[in-house]
Amino acid sequence: MRKKWWFPVAYMFVVTAFFSSIVIGFAQFTGDRVEANADLAFEKAVLAVLPGLLEEGESRLEIHRKFVERVGPPDEQIGGACRLTEAGRTVAYALPVEGQGFWAPIKGVIGLKDDRRTITGIAFYEQNETPGLGAQITTITFTSQFQGKVLASGDKPLNIRPPGAPLGESDVHAVTGATQTSTRLEKILNDALTQWYAKLAKISDASSTQ
Amino acid sequence: MKSESKKLIIDGIWHNNPIFRQVLGICSTLAVTNLVLNTAVMCIALVFTLSLSSATVSLLRRFTPRGIRMMVETLIIAFYVIVVDLVLKAYWPEMSTNLGPYVGLIITNCIVMGRCEACGTINPPGPAFLDGLFNALGYTVVLLIIATIRELLGMGTFLGYPMPYFTGPHWDKWIIMVAPPGAFFTLAVVTWVFRSIGLRAEKKDK
Repeated sequence: MRKKWWFPVAYMFVVTAFFSSIVIGFAQFTGDRVEANADLAFEKAVLAVLPGLLEEGESRLEIHRKFVERVGPPDEQIGGACRLTEAGRTVAYALPVEGQGFWAPIKGVIGLKDDRRTITGIAFYEQNETPGLGAQITTITFTSQFQGKVLASGDKPLNIRPPGAPLGESDVHAVTGATQTSTRLEKILNDALTQWYAKLAKISDASSTQ
Repeated sequence: MKSESKKLIIDGIWHNNPIFRQVLGICSTLAVTNLVLNTAVMCIALVFTLSLSSATVSLLRRFTPRGIRMMVETLIIAFYVIVVDLVLKAYWPEMSTNLGPYVGLIITNCIVMGRCEACGTINPPGPAFLDGLFNALGYTVVLLIIATIRELLGMGTFLGYPMPYFTGPHWDKWIIMVAPPGAFFTLAVVTWVFRSIGLRAEKKDK
């Protein structure tokens, strides 16, 4: 049978069908979990930037439940941010930001107090910057700098300054050796914030003319 | 232990080491060695893929027509790599994003195809599995050495933990070591050192 002309074709077909069906089955089995991982990364980032929500060692289910109960998905009524409410009153916002980093897109969330100017925290849940350099934007050392900073008005709400430079009220230090990542990150954050302020202004105009 | 298996083990790790002897799989060696943890996961993925695909190729060796054997080998390798990739995506998403495309690129890692061709197609599954396993471990040893040097000199840490002296004020971190050029320097030095040791041992035998 091995000498027949059709044998290689049939053989390849059978082998491919065998291995593919295992892979397809396995992908089906893990598919839901992979999808949930992406959603959960975002939800966890939102909780992390809002004051007093995320605790150490919470399970995936607890994080998801807390997100649904306390915060909820981004709302176009407030320019596409998530809102943390207490007794019906907004106490903080979490604004998703997204843009091109040095190697790949960077996605993150900025938390702001109800004055919409004071930063409560920042977190990045998707990035592929150089490990050890640009990727340090996800470390506590970098993100904790943002807490309590007050955004300036105008088209540059936030400045990322070279390491060692004196800092103002809306400035943070860049990561040493990651100039590209820092420059791009500054643009991503400022673009997202100015667009958000523009959207909010439009919404309040629309509601006051009604 | 049978002397044949012993020979396979020593060959895979030393005499025939895929990195500094056969100079195969250099692309991933350069790409994923700036943090020890990433390197370790990459190496585990390779150990799994290489040993099992070599054994599977060997299982099918009597049936596979010679003309299409490379296609079948690629298919088998791709199968195991996709399984690893799916497991990482589902159960360790952070690591999956850290390693980026490099897990998928194990399919094109020359070590895997090389060992399947050289050993899997002619030997029974047992020795083929061992050959794959120890070649992958040979790769692992060299990669971990390179990653340790790069992470320590470049960031002053090992597995993310700060090391004494290297995080202190007397050590100015060599940032170039975690950037791509550092991989070339370290790989060259490591290959040089190991080959020199090998040469000296060979001279003594004569």
